[in-house]
Amino acid sequence: MQPIKNVVVLGANGTMGSGAAGLFAASGYDVVMLARGIDKAHQGLARAKEAVRSDVLGKRIRCGSYEQDLEREVAAADLIFEAVSEDMAIKGPFLERIDRARRKGSVVATVSSGLSIAKMVEGRSTDFRRHFVGMHLFNPPHVIVGTEMIPGPDTDRELFSGLVAMLEKRLGRIVIECADQPAFAGNRVGFKVLNECAQLAEHHGVELVDYLVGPYTGRALAPLATIDLVGWDVHHAIVENVHANTKDEAHAAFAMPAYMARLMDDGHLGNKTPGEGGFYRRMTDANGAKFKSVLDAKTCGYSEGPGARLKLAFVEEIKALHASGRYAEAMAKFLVAEGPEADLARKVILGYVSYGLHRVGPGEVVPTPAGVDRIMGYGFNWAPPTVLVDLWGKRQTLAALERAGLPVPRVLSALKDGERLSTIPKATIGRFFFGK
Amino acid sequence: MAPKKSSRPVHLLGGFQTDFARNWSKESKHLVALVREAVLGALEATRIEPGEVEVGHVGNFAAELYCMQGHTGALIVDVDPAFSGLPTIRHEAACASGSLAALAAAADIEAGRYDLALVLGVEMMKTVDSKKGGDFLGTAAWYDREAKGIEFPFPKLFGKLGDEYDKRYGLKDEHLARISAVNYANAKLNPNAQTRSWFMNYDHACSTGPFNAHIGGRIKLTDCSQVTDGAACVLLASAEFAAKWAARNGKQLASVPRILGWGHATAPMEFTKKVEESKGDRYVLPQTRKAILDAFARAGLPGVEAIDCIETHDCFTTSEYMAIDHFGLTAPGESWKAVEEGVIEIGGRCPINPSGGLIGAGHPVGATGTRQLLDAYLQVVGAAGDYQVAKARRAATLNIGGSGTTSVVHVVGFD
Repeated sequence: MQPIKNVVVLGANGTMGSGAAGLFAASGYDVVMLARGIDKAHQGLARAKEAVRSDVLGKRIRCGSYEQDLEREVAAADLIFEAVSEDMAIKGPFLERIDRARRKGSVVATVSSGLSIAKMVEGRSTDFRRHFVGMHLFNPPHVIVGTEMIPGPDTDRELFSGLVAMLEKRLGRIVIECADQPAFAGNRVGFKVLNECAQLAEHHGVELVDYLVGPYTGRALAPLATIDLVGWDVHHAIVENVHANTKDEAHAAFAMPAYMARLMDDGHLGNKTPGEGGFYRRMTDANGAKFKSVLDAKTCGYSEGPGARLKLAFVEEIKALHASGRYAEAMAKFLVAEGPEADLARKVILGYVSYGLHRVGPGEVVPTPAGVDRIMGYGFNWAPPTVLVDLWGKRQTLAALERAGLPVPRVLSALKDGERLSTIPKATIGRFFFGK
Repeated sequence: MAPKKSSRPVHLLGGFQTDFARNWSKESKHLVALVREAVLGALEATRIEPGEVEVGHVGNFAAELYCMQGHTGALIVDVDPAFSGLPTIRHEAACASGSLAALAAAADIEAGRYDLALVLGVEMMKTVDSKKGGDFLGTAAWYDREAKGIEFPFPKLFGKLGDEYDKRYGLKDEHLARISAVNYANAKLNPNAQTRSWFMNYDHACSTGPFNAHIGGRIKLTDCSQVTDGAACVLLASAEFAAKWAARNGKQLASVPRILGWGHATAPMEFTKKVEESKGDRYVLPQTRKAILDAFARAGLPGVEAIDCIETHDCFTTSEYMAIDHFGLTAPGESWKAVEEGVIEIGGRCPINPSGGLIGAGHPVGATGTRQLLDAYLQVVGAAGDYQVAKARRAATLNIGGSGTTSVVHVVGFD
């Protein structure tokens, strides 16, 4: 691999483009930020400085526009990092321009979160195809270190290994290699859970679903609040891509609910559209007090006041155990709690374990459980399926999957009694469980 | 009078540190969860059963203020049923609390009272905002005289330490900036360091502006250690226990490091009194110098030339600047030479804070002393991973409470 000293970022005004530019500059690379206009690139630079909290970052960054600077800067770059809109029709022409302008041997990376890498290199030159990779950082990249690397059909293996080492050593990333499958590993597994929760919300209500699959189950943020945070449009693009291009044992879980499509037509995209809202809408009452109004997925209306504060004994007991650091006891209780609500929570969490571990192995998304481990743990900040299995033990997990009517992944049936599945040190798993 | 030394050796068996980047308030965790993770992690790392531990010493500064929780020594008992009945003691000397716990545990072993002691340092600080936390930290000074009604009193006190150096010997801020940059760079190599994913370099440390504002006197944001939630736990053992432990783990007793020496000195609480006391002395903080010399004497070492690396108390860059000449790496007032010559960097003659120190790795006040001891252990057994100092056989720690008030030094390693 040729040494990488300077990086050109396309789409530098976007959230990921500016975040990635800041990350590269902070790691010691000279960076050129390109956008539709130089003023847009400067906006991206301001955002990058704010994210890493330093003015001196600007010393390593120059700004430019596609029209004036793209060919010249791409020709001079060691690494061209493409972060334009997540739309093949927009990416295609940029990749063509890059192919024409770049010098042989330079690396081209796309930050796409799940589009086909093979499709992106169709019609590209041989040298481009050899030097092209998917490099999926998670937002915001200066905080979240999990990174997916995806080789294209002709990517040079030595180059690929060199880039993985660079990401790990110089950019402090935790890297996994993924097959070129829709949404790769993290989004495939994560958005299956999120969309399933959106489906369940129609019958069980937004508040109950977010309460039952909340932080106590091993995540920083409840699932429907997470969809509001990432944006309904992004959610839609990801689940639609997976639904259209995969056929696995949980295919139906990727069908976006009709009520979400209706609300999206009316401009409801989550936190990015505060007026319309998403599953939640921030409101102010007559006395000026702020509250979160909650969507009724059946009627597509919002609650007049804040949502009900739910309290179920088994959930509160598990939270208290997490709060005192008793994670194994807490999750053991989760497995044996009784009642329809506990069944619902287990359906989602055991479904996550089953689905996540089914993505491991030949012909799947990642070769070993460590891939799911790392990306769910350090990309999503969720308790990885492997960690949950290790807390429960093989026998208890198999029994719970059977009770929930969920398929057993091969890596789980092949696990020896007493053997740990996770590569994450046992003493550090507490970070994934929340006492709230 | 020469410092006294016990004839009974104290071995260091290893331990565990929590990830200092975690925010335990955001995880909605009680202090006991932090205690549990550190203790269970240390038992797992050292392959020791809870029932083997004979005494527990806990270093904690101010859980009463940060968490409304006192009696922190007793929290160990919650970790495992086998700990019920265990004698436990809590120690407090502000930022030196963790080292006091280690000193007391070592004294137990030297006295022959116990053969295996668990030493835990713990602090949860992100329960309050930075101003309130700064006020709590003010209780480590003479609160009424030096902290009451003052925003961020400690940066101001350690700014005065820099001013005193400037007055006596001259001090350039660029040398403080270099100290900060080295600590942050080292922290990037440490998987448990709080700032490992933060942006930082020498240019940024030299800059002044909204992202690097002055906090107190000459002290800027990049000169400060962090507000941190964290715990570190180590196990200390008598030669008898260490021999049994080594045998069952397939090791030789000679490969198990010892606490070779220690020093412990207390200066007047008020910073101005410390400065008055040291008038005419070549060292700005003579009691800190005394603790260092006592540790070297107890270890039977001629001086810092016998030390391969140091984990020092860099609560601010000025305290590390002070540590450099007080350890004897340079003549008094010439710490800048060691900074310029790269002596303190990994790969230098005597790396300081390969872990990232309090500035880079983080500073959970009561845990810092035990974290330093654990890092000294990791260095001398060659287990420090990416921040390993090549061929390190002896490491020193300096842990300071208050504005140079309580100084504790340990020398860890092999004869």
